[in-house]
Amino acid sequence: MTGGASPRGTGITTMDSDRLEHTRGIFRGPLLRLKDHLLMMASLTDRNLNMALQAFLNRDESKANLVESEDAVIDRLEMEIDELVVTYVSTHGPMATACRLAIMSSKMSECIESIADQAVSIARRARQLSNMPEAPVNLEIAKMAGLALAMMRESIIAFVEVDPEAARTLVARDKEVDRLNKVHEEALHEAMMADPSQIAACLHLLFISRSLERVGDYSKNLAQDVVYLYTAQDIRHDANMGGQSG
Amino acid sequence: MKTMSESQDQSRSRVSHGAMTPEESETPGLGTSIAVDNLEFAYGSKPALFDVSLAIPKGKVTAFIGPSGCGKSTLLRCFNRMNDLIEGTSITKGTIHISGVDINSPGVDVIELRKRVGMVFQKSNPFPKSIYENIVYGLRLQGIKNRKVLDEVVERSLRGSALWDEVKDRLDDSALGLSGGQMQRLCIARAIAVEPEIILMDEPCSALDPIATAKVEDLIAELKKQYTIVIVTHNMQQAGRCSDVTAFFYLGKLIEFDLTEKIFTNPSKQQTEDYITGRFG
Amino acid sequence: MSNGTANHIFASRLTPAKVREAVFRWALRIATYIVLAAATYIFVDIAWKGGREVLRTQFPFVNVSFLTEWPETLHIIKTRAGETLDLGDRAYRAYVEKNGEAEVTEHQTYVYAAGGIFPCIVGTVLLVTGSMTIAMVLGVMSAIYLSEYSNHGRAIQIIRLSIMNLAGVPSIVFGMFGYAFFVILFGWNVSLMAGWFTLAFMVLPIIITASEESLRAVPKGFREGSLALGATKWQTIRQNVLPYALPGILTSSVLGIARVAGETAPIMFTAAFVVRDELPWQVQKATDFFFNGVMALPYHIFVVSARVPQNEYTAKVQYAAAFVFLFLVMIIALASILLRIKVRGRYKW
Repeated sequence: MTGGASPRGTGITTMDSDRLEHTRGIFRGPLLRLKDHLLMMASLTDRNLNMALQAFLNRDESKANLVESEDAVIDRLEMEIDELVVTYVSTHGPMATACRLAIMSSKMSECIESIADQAVSIARRARQLSNMPEAPVNLEIAKMAGLALAMMRESIIAFVEVDPEAARTLVARDKEVDRLNKVHEEALHEAMMADPSQIAACLHLLFISRSLERVGDYSKNLAQDVVYLYTAQDIRHDANMGGQSG
Repeated sequence: MKTMSESQDQSRSRVSHGAMTPEESETPGLGTSIAVDNLEFAYGSKPALFDVSLAIPKGKVTAFIGPSGCGKSTLLRCFNRMNDLIEGTSITKGTIHISGVDINSPGVDVIELRKRVGMVFQKSNPFPKSIYENIVYGLRLQGIKNRKVLDEVVERSLRGSALWDEVKDRLDDSALGLSGGQMQRLCIARAIAVEPEIILMDEPCSALDPIATAKVEDLIAELKKQYTIVIVTHNMQQAGRCSDVTAFFYLGKLIEFDLTEKIFTNPSKQQTEDYITGRFG
Repeated sequence: MSNGTANHIFASRLTPAKVREAVFRWALRIATYIVLAAATYIFVDIAWKGGREVLRTQFPFVNVSFLTEWPETLHIIKTRAGETLDLGDRAYRAYVEKNGEAEVTEHQTYVYAAGGIFPCIVGTVLLVTGSMTIAMVLGVMSAIYLSEYSNHGRAIQIIRLSIMNLAGVPSIVFGMFGYAFFVILFGWNVSLMAGWFTLAFMVLPIIITASEESLRAVPKGFREGSLALGATKWQTIRQNVLPYALPGILTSSVLGIARVAGETAPIMFTAAFVVRDELPWQVQKATDFFFNGVMALPYHIFVVSARVPQNEYTAKVQYAAAFVFLFLVMIIALASILLRIKVRGRYKW
């Protein structure tokens, strides 16, 4: 006489492919609008980051200016998404996946906006550098940027395609970006100590590297948000998954 | 229909200007369906509505919310003069104009009024006749007997209330054999069969399970393309999901009347916020 | 885990409430059985004594002559040969014609102890159908007005109360009212019409009260739904209320039939003849059908019981007539019940 099942509460619910297939169907009405806004924001940010990189690599001042002006649209999109989320939550009272989607949309838009801000920062420094002679340091900025951009793109793709596993594997790649940043820091320290006249340029380069490292972090947060959104599993602050680092 | 961003611009400006009536933010040219001016209503010697004024917009869904006994159902029933059936009730002051006509003036035939202002009740009341006879009841009242016309109306109304596929093979079965949600959709079909301009719904989903409720709500979204809808509801989410504008009543007074998003995200009156968040009533 | 030695929290315990429950259950049972016993006694008594006269063991299983002949005087004669014969009027006359008056040594006559009750049956059937028709029409229409149209004020309450009180008025008072009003004032004399109206008014309270209840039992939602679609009040009543109140109304008609068929006092002064030689439709003018009296079963039973000297022969006639009467009422009521079943099947809600 023990009765049947009793409620167990927490514990991971495995999201099998059927369940994920079903989740693909929730993007209707206000949730579809939310997704579209996020996609728009992400693609504009992607473009801006690319342009900032081009401005740096090609020492192109006009491109840098374009990045700054385009950022206003991204900022407005972030505000619209937040208003959409508040309106949706208060009028519809969503539950389960829809609720997680609404809340994570807000956080994801914040991540994307932060990435966009870093793009603006990179563009500004690129503009400054374009008016200076080239510093004698060999950095792998392009490679770093490529890695960080790839992380952001793939997080968004995982979001759109409802693929939390793809997002999960992304998280570890941030380590490489961090490592590159450390390499750059050491190289730049050496260069600054060797030739104090290059300090200004080297500082800009340092900050550009830092910005890209930030972009890597934000992209990792995006991936973690996507995992939580679709699996209700919070993988932040998890040592095994790469955790939060500085 | 305006986009989210346009309405958001307006709602942001509204934050600084205070609440504005929905007509001001409507697409010009759509107009008002029901104009209520300084209405006071009493059950015998007990007053139920105090100085209520609002303009129900045409072609939109208006929700009336408020705690029990606040007068929202009373006001709804004034629109098609169903309160005339209760003894001792009277409009002590004020007017209600529908399409420009004062519906309580002597020249108004209440039968004609009710043909143009349909009603769906809280407790669904399909007549104990066949599904077919339920729908054509209103038409038969007007003397329409042509079988072909009636058949067409039955199909149109049942399609319009998303019930056709479920019952098209058993139109002659008793309406009482339907499930609760189907019965309510049947009542909606019955109401739209006479092609009213306005549909009044008094807590149409209160007796339905969530799936039936969802179907009725989808229906409302479809119906508003053709009719003006006023819906009384206790269910916050329903008001939030279905309606374009919301009116909040308390103790017979209209407290706030604004776009639904505004009322639910940032109401102007503290009372409204308290009610919506469940802090009283 | 056994349930026999129950000492858990749900165990059965004797409480005052449970004792009261058992006591009342038995009291109610006994009351019902008493009623049942009384009714059974009456029915069995009539059926036994009456059935002996009316029913036969061979085909056609009924005493056809009893049902199809006029009442006659019973002649009990002793013949010179020592036989005792029971003869009805015609048989006696035939006997005397054949054998001559001298054959008869003793001769006793008992009025209405022979023959049949055919005209009474006819009269009762006519009275019942006519008065019920009038009562149903007037009654249902009044019930509709009271329940649907009137404005439920004090005045209407008083009217309704008066109608209900009318049900308690003794039937003899109705007879007197009918006499003064229909027979004298309207000048109809003792006639079918006077009987019809008197009986109708007597049974009206039952019809009105029961019909009003039936109408009120129809859910408000039917009316509201109909009115909301733009129906007039009459359209609503006609199509959405009346059909569904019909079973209840027909039930009230069954009660009315039983009352109307069995009352003697109202028809005593207004419609009933002790004897009438023609059947109601054997008249010269059409109007004579309505304005002549008829014979009726309950009155006949009364006459045979109270107006003529009692003996074993009249007793037989009384019981036989009572038996036929019960049977008649049962058939008319059955017709109404069948109609109600059919209506209920069609207008189920």
